Amino acid sequence: MSSSSVEIATGRSRRSGLLLVCVLVFCVLLLSAQAPGGGKRRGSLLQSWILSVAAPVGRAVLLVSRGVSGLADSTSEAFSARAENVRLKRDLTAKNQELFRLRAEVSQAARERLLLSGGAALPNVQMAAPVLLIESRAGVQSALVGVGSSSGARPGSPIAVPEGLVGRLVTVGATVSRAQLLLDASAAVGARIVRTQELGVVRGDGRGGMRLNNVPTTSRVAAGDAIESAGIDGIYPRGVAIGRVASVAKGSDLFLEIRVAPAAQFSRLSDVLLLAPSPAIPGAAGGGRSGGP
Amino acid sequence: MKFGRVALLLVAATALQFFVGGSSHRAAWPIDCFLIATAVVARSGNPSRALLVGGALGFLEDAFTQELLGMNAFAKAALGYVFAVLSVRVALGGSWAVGGALAVASLVNDGIVALLSVLLMRSPLVLLSREDLWRAAATGITGGIVEAAREFPWREWWKRRLLRRLR
Repeated sequence: MSSSSVEIATGRSRRSGLLLVCVLVFCVLLLSAQAPGGGKRRGSLLQSWILSVAAPVGRAVLLVSRGVSGLADSTSEAFSARAENVRLKRDLTAKNQELFRLRAEVSQAARERLLLSGGAALPNVQMAAPVLLIESRAGVQSALVGVGSSSGARPGSPIAVPEGLVGRLVTVGATVSRAQLLLDASAAVGARIVRTQELGVVRGDGRGGMRLNNVPTTSRVAAGDAIESAGIDGIYPRGVAIGRVASVAKGSDLFLEIRVAPAAQFSRLSDVLLLAPSPAIPGAAGGGRSGGP
Repeated sequence: MKFGRVALLLVAATALQFFVGGSSHRAAWPIDCFLIATAVVARSGNPSRALLVGGALGFLEDAFTQELLGMNAFAKAALGYVFAVLSVRVALGGSWAVGGALAVASLVNDGIVALLSVLLMRSPLVLLSREDLWRAAATGITGGIVEAAREFPWREWWKRRLLRRLR
């Protein structure tokens, strides 16, 4: 190799090294600017724009994806009794939806009673929305949901399925929003054990499971107990199923170590129901479908 | 790799990510399309292009899935650079080597994102979860298959097939 070609190669290598440093420094600066405690988050506005721009691609691909999934399903059904199973599942889902609606109506009545006594609001279902994408990486469990500010969604709006609570919207674009799932390592929800009426905090473990924290060792909680949202966190409504106690063990301190099996099937989510945001969330007073950002 | 091809790859990776992530069978084969696309660009041996494409794809991934923009961009830019340097200097070859490198890169990506989450958001550290390992395996195997398909002498195979038919 001649000396000139060696010089060119060295120069190119230096340039790419310098570029790498620049890109990494830019990322660090961008992250620092958005980190909690660093003032107003500029990233969420940018993120909201990107979500809005990507929405048509996401919806189009979702249609294809659902079509291919449906085709694969129906092919395999031809060789088994799966069609019957699917029909039964559909029936069950319809029944669950009916149950969910009735529960929402009961909650609504309770809400009115609570409002009369100056209490907090309870949930009401706003609309159904398709799940465009679910990502699970390094403890972060998030979903892209096909609903946005144009249809009344707001940051903090809880999302659920008939089986139970799923998470909440974090970043809202015009037609697409990003949601934090309950399985996320940073997610937490105020919870109540239905049988014993004890309160605790359900946290995602970032590995597909959840834990119920802050339940004292004197508690009578047992495996199989149902857990629902307590409505004490200012985000999630009261009385929505979260899961069931999978195991109870003595913790290292005064609290039990309780593992919770989620009620919602997160790996099979295809559509979610958007609930009205809690009045505790700024700008959500009165709930309902009012306005966008 | 030409700019047009890079742009096409970017769009294809995004569409594929939505295709897999939007399917109800998403957990069956959870490939990291953005990482594979970064590796494809890095395979051409231009570190600058690889790190820029990696950064752009990571940025897009952050916008779809992360609380903070820049975590995956940081990881994928660094990985793109390392991939490009490796492909030039170490003559990384063979579908097994590429698949293994992609699987390791997927875990490294997860590790960087987890560490940045701990540092910037005080999230709990989640490393090597079952989902992370499964994605690393799926990404590695898919990358290996792509590399094997790229290296396969399709033209010769087609000619031989035609000759066999003529005989």
